[in-house]
Amino acid sequence: MTTKMTATQAIEVDGEGAAMSDEQPQRIARRPRNQFFVFRGTMSKRAQVATSITASVVVIAVWEVATRLGWINSLFLPPPSVTVETLWTMITQKHLLWNAGISTLRVWVAFALSVVMAVPIGIAMSSFRGVGAALEPIVDFIRYLPVPALVPLSIIWFGVGETTKIFLLWLGTFFQLVLLVADDMRRVPQEYVEIAYTVGARPFQMLSDVAFRAMQPSLFDNLRITLGWCWTYLIIAEIVAADNGLGFVIWAARRYMNTSEVMAGVVTIGLIGLLTDQILRLVHKRLFRYL
Amino acid sequence: MAPAPYLVFDGVTKYFGDLEVVAPSFNLDIARNEFIVFLGPSGSGKTTLMRMVGGLETPSSGEIRLRGQAIREPDRDRGMVFQSYSSFPWLTVAQNVAFGMKYRLDLTPDRKKARLDHYLKLVGLSDFSDAYPNKVSGGMRQRIAIARTLAAGSDVLLMDEPFGALDAQRREDLQIELRRIQQQDAKTIIFVTHDVDEAVFLADRIIVFSKRPARMLEEVDIAAELGPDRTLELRDSERFFKLRTQVLKFVRAAAGHDN
Ligand SMILES: Nc1ncnc2c1ncn2[C@@H]1O[C@H](COP(=O)(O)OP(=O)(O)OP(=O)(O)O)[C@@H](O)[C@H]1O
Ligand SMILES: [Mg+2]
Repeated sequence: MTTKMTATQAIEVDGEGAAMSDEQPQRIARRPRNQFFVFRGTMSKRAQVATSITASVVVIAVWEVATRLGWINSLFLPPPSVTVETLWTMITQKHLLWNAGISTLRVWVAFALSVVMAVPIGIAMSSFRGVGAALEPIVDFIRYLPVPALVPLSIIWFGVGETTKIFLLWLGTFFQLVLLVADDMRRVPQEYVEIAYTVGARPFQMLSDVAFRAMQPSLFDNLRITLGWCWTYLIIAEIVAADNGLGFVIWAARRYMNTSEVMAGVVTIGLIGLLTDQILRLVHKRLFRYL
Repeated sequence: MAPAPYLVFDGVTKYFGDLEVVAPSFNLDIARNEFIVFLGPSGSGKTTLMRMVGGLETPSSGEIRLRGQAIREPDRDRGMVFQSYSSFPWLTVAQNVAFGMKYRLDLTPDRKKARLDHYLKLVGLSDFSDAYPNKVSGGMRQRIAIARTLAAGSDVLLMDEPFGALDAQRREDLQIELRRIQQQDAKTIIFVTHDVDEAVFLADRIIVFSKRPARMLEEVDIAAELGPDRTLELRDSERFFKLRTQVLKFVRAAAGHDN
């Protein structure tokens, strides 16, 4: 029911937006009537939000209809309405939020560990040729090892406790992040460095006051992307070695062919991702107003 | 008695790989408080010479000495206005200018504030002090770079086409100001420009370069003709006009000159 309501609302908003742009006199004859397919065209904030919502609603509606009409066996793909219902019962009766919280905590702990290590090491790698030459081959080698292939090894090393999970997440992100950080630093314009030196900065002052500051916007973007990868590895880690967390919930439900619980678990991850990303985008905007 | 050389190019050459940028071997003595202008065709190596003084490039052979000391690395005693006049996008206009004094421990915060206001006003940026560089025009960004370098208070100023993006009026004002600062604070300046009028108006001595690799083709002693004080009236004088024509002739010859 709720979905239907949103659908009508979204269409109304959209209709309003269209009416508003129709009222505007056409100043230039060749100016396109809608900005949908203009390369780097402009679109009002409202129209953008309306488009986003409409698109999501359409996807959900098609999914609902397709399963209701039996085009898709709901044993394999339950309709959204059932998924939402299941989501609710899982929250109220099966500690879904608690499991989601555990997973989120694992992701953030491992991510924080990766960041704390990768940022200074990445900066050192691109700032000092010696460090770069020493570490680059090693990092490159490990970076290409698929994390699942290292699961057995990490269980042998750390057992099936928290350490293994954190280790696997760290493994999946640290080596990628180190190279991204090194690249961000490498892309700091040489002119910035030279300005700093010619007004008397010492190398360390140049690094902290100028180079590190200059790289922050792209560093932030890379952190945001890496955080997303953490979730991928989290599910792997929780499937093989956990008795709680979202990966465990999904995997347990699969055993009983409880597709709607699997879907509910997947949707929860998607929602957490969506929320985190939106928050981080907002933080980015506030931190880097000058961009 | 001739003044003791202050800044000395001693047999300097410069190669970038196989590319010979400064021909063997470049020699030039610059006195303290002298205003030197480099003129020459595009790509002749003027920026490269300045960067070597700044310590941002090393000569392939020979050396550049300041007060008898070979230059090895950049430092605050040689301020630069880069040809690209970049500023830091994350700092406001005022913060960018203040950055020139960031590493000066000899100035009190009050003194720094006073200098900041002074140089912002000098380049006409007081009203934009809180704007971010990406919101101001190219000419304003160039003025940020000029103010930052002046605020740093270096003894030697290396200015690479610093007035290129400015409108005629602002350019004239800043030329007069720069000349005044140079006289008053005893600065030694190397200034690159393609504008012959500007060169004659500012310089004590003009060096005209050949096409790459840079060789000194002509040396014009402007100070001997125009003296130390440069005023607007001078610009319209017969003396100025004659010098300008002469230098222009050298520049044309340099552009057509085959090495
Ligand atoms: N880092 C570098 N590596 C290789 N070649 C370079 C480098 N810097 C400059 N050059 C080359 O050296 C030559 C001289 O360049 P330079 O910038 O010194 O000329 P310029 O006299 O300042 O020219 P313009 O008047 O156009 O600014 C050019 O051919 C340029 O391509
Ligand atoms: Mg140049």
